[in-house]
Amino acid sequence: MTALAITRSDERERLPVKLAQIDWTFCLLLAAIAGVGGLMLYSIGGGWSPWAWKHLALFAVCFLVMIALAVTDVRTWFAAAYPTYVIGLVLLLAVAVVGHSTMGAKRWLDIGHVRIQPSEIVKIGLVLALARFYHTLPAAKARLSWRLLVPLALIGAPVALVAHQPDLGTALLIAATGGVMMILAGLSLRLVAVGLAGLFAVLPAVFMFALKAYQQARLLTFLNPEADRSGAGYHIIQSKIALGSGGLLGKGFGLGTQSQLNFLPEKSTDFIFASLAEEFGFVGCVSVLVLYAAVIFMALRMASLAHSHFARLAAAGVTVTFALCVLINGAMVMGLAPVVGVPMPLLSFGGTVMITMMVGFALVLSVRVHRYSEVGSGRGALV
Amino acid sequence: MIRPTIYFDDVNERQSLFHRRAFLFGGVAGAGLVALGARLVNLQLIETGRYRLASEHNEFEFLLTAPPRGLIVDRDGVVLASNRPDFRLLLAKDEHTDVDAVLSRLGVLIPMDDARRQRLAADIDAAPRKAPVAVVEDMTWEEFSAVNVRAPELPGITADMGEVRVYPFAAAFAHVVGYVAKVSARDIAKTGPNSEPIMLNPGFRIGKQGIEKAYDLPLRGTAGARKVEVDVKGRVVRHDPVGDIASIPGSPIALTLDADIQNRALEVFGEESGAAVMMDCRSGDILCLLSAPSFDANRFVKGLTGPEYRALADYDRKPLFNKALTATYPPGSTFKTMVALAALEKGIDPATTHTCRGAWPWGGRVWHCDKAHGTLDMHDAIKVSCDIYFYQTALAVGPDRIAAVARQFGLGQTFNIGIPGQKSGLIPDRAYKRRAFPRDPVWHPGETPSMGIGQGYVSVNALQLAVMVSRLANGAKALEPRLVHSVGGVVQASGAAGPDLAVAKAHLDFVRAAMASVTNDAGGTAFGSAQLGLGPVKMAGKTGTAQVHSYAGGRGAHGAQGAWALRDHAWFIAFAPDDDPRYALSVLVEHGGFGADAAAPKAAQLLRVALLKDPQVRARIVQPLPQAPATSPSPPAGTPT
Repeated sequence: MTALAITRSDERERLPVKLAQIDWTFCLLLAAIAGVGGLMLYSIGGGWSPWAWKHLALFAVCFLVMIALAVTDVRTWFAAAYPTYVIGLVLLLAVAVVGHSTMGAKRWLDIGHVRIQPSEIVKIGLVLALARFYHTLPAAKARLSWRLLVPLALIGAPVALVAHQPDLGTALLIAATGGVMMILAGLSLRLVAVGLAGLFAVLPAVFMFALKAYQQARLLTFLNPEADRSGAGYHIIQSKIALGSGGLLGKGFGLGTQSQLNFLPEKSTDFIFASLAEEFGFVGCVSVLVLYAAVIFMALRMASLAHSHFARLAAAGVTVTFALCVLINGAMVMGLAPVVGVPMPLLSFGGTVMITMMVGFALVLSVRVHRYSEVGSGRGALV
Repeated sequence: MIRPTIYFDDVNERQSLFHRRAFLFGGVAGAGLVALGARLVNLQLIETGRYRLASEHNEFEFLLTAPPRGLIVDRDGVVLASNRPDFRLLLAKDEHTDVDAVLSRLGVLIPMDDARRQRLAADIDAAPRKAPVAVVEDMTWEEFSAVNVRAPELPGITADMGEVRVYPFAAAFAHVVGYVAKVSARDIAKTGPNSEPIMLNPGFRIGKQGIEKAYDLPLRGTAGARKVEVDVKGRVVRHDPVGDIASIPGSPIALTLDADIQNRALEVFGEESGAAVMMDCRSGDILCLLSAPSFDANRFVKGLTGPEYRALADYDRKPLFNKALTATYPPGSTFKTMVALAALEKGIDPATTHTCRGAWPWGGRVWHCDKAHGTLDMHDAIKVSCDIYFYQTALAVGPDRIAAVARQFGLGQTFNIGIPGQKSGLIPDRAYKRRAFPRDPVWHPGETPSMGIGQGYVSVNALQLAVMVSRLANGAKALEPRLVHSVGGVVQASGAAGPDLAVAKAHLDFVRAAMASVTNDAGGTAFGSAQLGLGPVKMAGKTGTAQVHSYAGGRGAHGAQGAWALRDHAWFIAFAPDDDPRYALSVLVEHGGFGADAAAPKAAQLLRVALLKDPQVRARIVQPLPQAPATSPSPPAGTPT
């Protein structure tokens, strides 16, 4: 009985037992989403190249890595938490100094032939570091105490560096993930309310002084896309046309005129959901959203079942990142949010985000596999 | 003992707090997803119609198709202007287009020298925005297919087949039919037909001269459209033939001209400068309206280079100028027909004689004639073209009467023949003198003798003289010249519909008989030079030699001597057959010298063409060949022959 075996500390270290504990339904859902992504990339790319085969091949590799990482003991993750965060932060600093510049933003770091995007490493690093921090923090302190300056600093440093690149979308995503994790860890909801109120109060000032002209334009355009049909408003208008013209059942596979004729910008990356909507219509969209909802709720459940606070928060943190990505990208594509560079996870083409997400899900699966494992307070705790 | 970092109750509190908060987050995320779903319901189910329209609007575009331009044909249906397929390259220009890069890539496929490249760059630069530019026209099939195959490497370039105007006779009709040329920025108007989007179509051309210009709108037709699927860069992806809107071809225009006569006219002029206008003197139809030398109208369709244009414009024989309409010259002795008619109408007896001794002193100066003709009456004075006889006749008639008759025969006026550019010339009289010379408003008697021989203030163009001789030859009607026979099948009013001439028929017969003597009687000025050689069918005519400048030393430079530009203009007016006039014409040879030498032979050549084409006239000319006597026996019966 594997269900019993996992509860026995001597049995649960065996690989077959661990593999059996992996949530294969969950894995199937991930594969389904990536498969839809591959299908869409095949359609809009007019064949396996340039996107579809790369997308599916990368997913296959990432899937194997995910399984390998899923059977890695959660205590190893625990030990790697702060180092991962620090490495991510250092690389972010390196990017700011010697990064590779594309389209006016320094986001990439070339190491030999490999090009890495440190903001993605720091996403995982931050989730791990926050979980690691809260693991040893009593509930009362997590609610409201001076010690909360530490997670604020943990969040603030990467957010500031990423925003400096500038990559406002990712910075906001990291900040929101960190914020939600603090709330999950027990932050006073009253404080959250006050904080949100304060945030809205300073928002106009941030808009006026902290944002670059193109970022301001994007936000203004979001508020009134018709004002700038050929410029920044173009993305939103064309995306809405693609969605709306899809109707109930869509125009059919490979027949989406908005994406096939390139009216839809960034069709393989940020706006792939619009391509999907155009070719498969409302039915296709809702099906994919249901897949995403299933992934989010299953991941949240896996987080809740863990015995250790670190595992819980780490798995929840990954889920939050994923859910925010889906919601932000969805809202953006549907014209409900400004155009920020947040892709639709697993659906959009783009290697780095795929790797980050799959490593994140490895963590979630690992949390499930090791849900009965106890994690000690560990050395090198910040408190 | 190790002090625990955290106590069990704390552990439990953190866990339950997490569960509550995770549940909350799950709720918020679920609400977010439901909100997205609601948005999808709105976009994809409720407002889908609106977005579907917007998508189609993105996807489909109607590309204008230029209608085939109307044909221009001669009186027999011979095509004078038609359209031929044109393989061309279009460049869809936008603000990002790197013209140099495009041209250097094109240069690989199509040989291009530096001059052509510079001209193309300038063309692309000057072309209106939003409209594709025809970068290369008139490609060979090989070039066209090469570009078609390589099209994906040439962003913004499409190979396309259009139509381009072609003038099969190149030069013969260049002045009358005119030509079309590229639309320039100045041609595009704010309103009216020249504001239509078809004006921006690549390769679209509008009439710039002659019939092409005057009848541009009916010839143009109505633009149609091709429904095509385009990508975001405006490149055509697919053609949807069901959605096409057919264009309406331009109306064909039939002219009264005769291509045979017109072509012959261009031939007989060769490099000489001048004009020839022939009319059917029963109907008023213009059969030939030539200005020589001419130019190849097809060159203007392609677009002339600067040096080409300057060469045409600077040539002293003025090929771009329509000498049949625009240039006026003194009519010289051809005007004596009008003076004679005016005299007869005044009641002067044509038997009145004057004596010509080669010079005639009158009014304080000596008036010359080209030789001493002796004593002659009016008939002989026309036949030998005696100036001294007509000096005196003109004095006897007076300028006002001569002018009245001349105007009745079409001189001093312009005609509505459908194309612009006519100059009215001048038929002077006392009223004119009063009007035009306020400081010297009196007609001096000394001005009348010059008028009597078609010099002085008198000036006419070749068309007017053709109308004059047609009315003389017709003998009854004040014919109007007609150039356009029909537009889109609608026949225009005939030139013979006008009123009768207010001249006694006997007087007209007298002048015509005198003109017949000029060509057919020994001693007539054109007896040697104006023979048709068509047996019983003969022509009648009148020579004229128009003085270009006053000869300082009396008569030193008369005729075909001296520098070309200082020689006299040669005129000849004629009609044929002399006993049953059908064709009448005027021929002008600029600086040709004597009318009899330079102009009359050309008139004879042109009349021969017209007469031989006329079946009734031909029937008179063609004689049955004498039958050979039937010496051989007839072939045996049953043998097929």
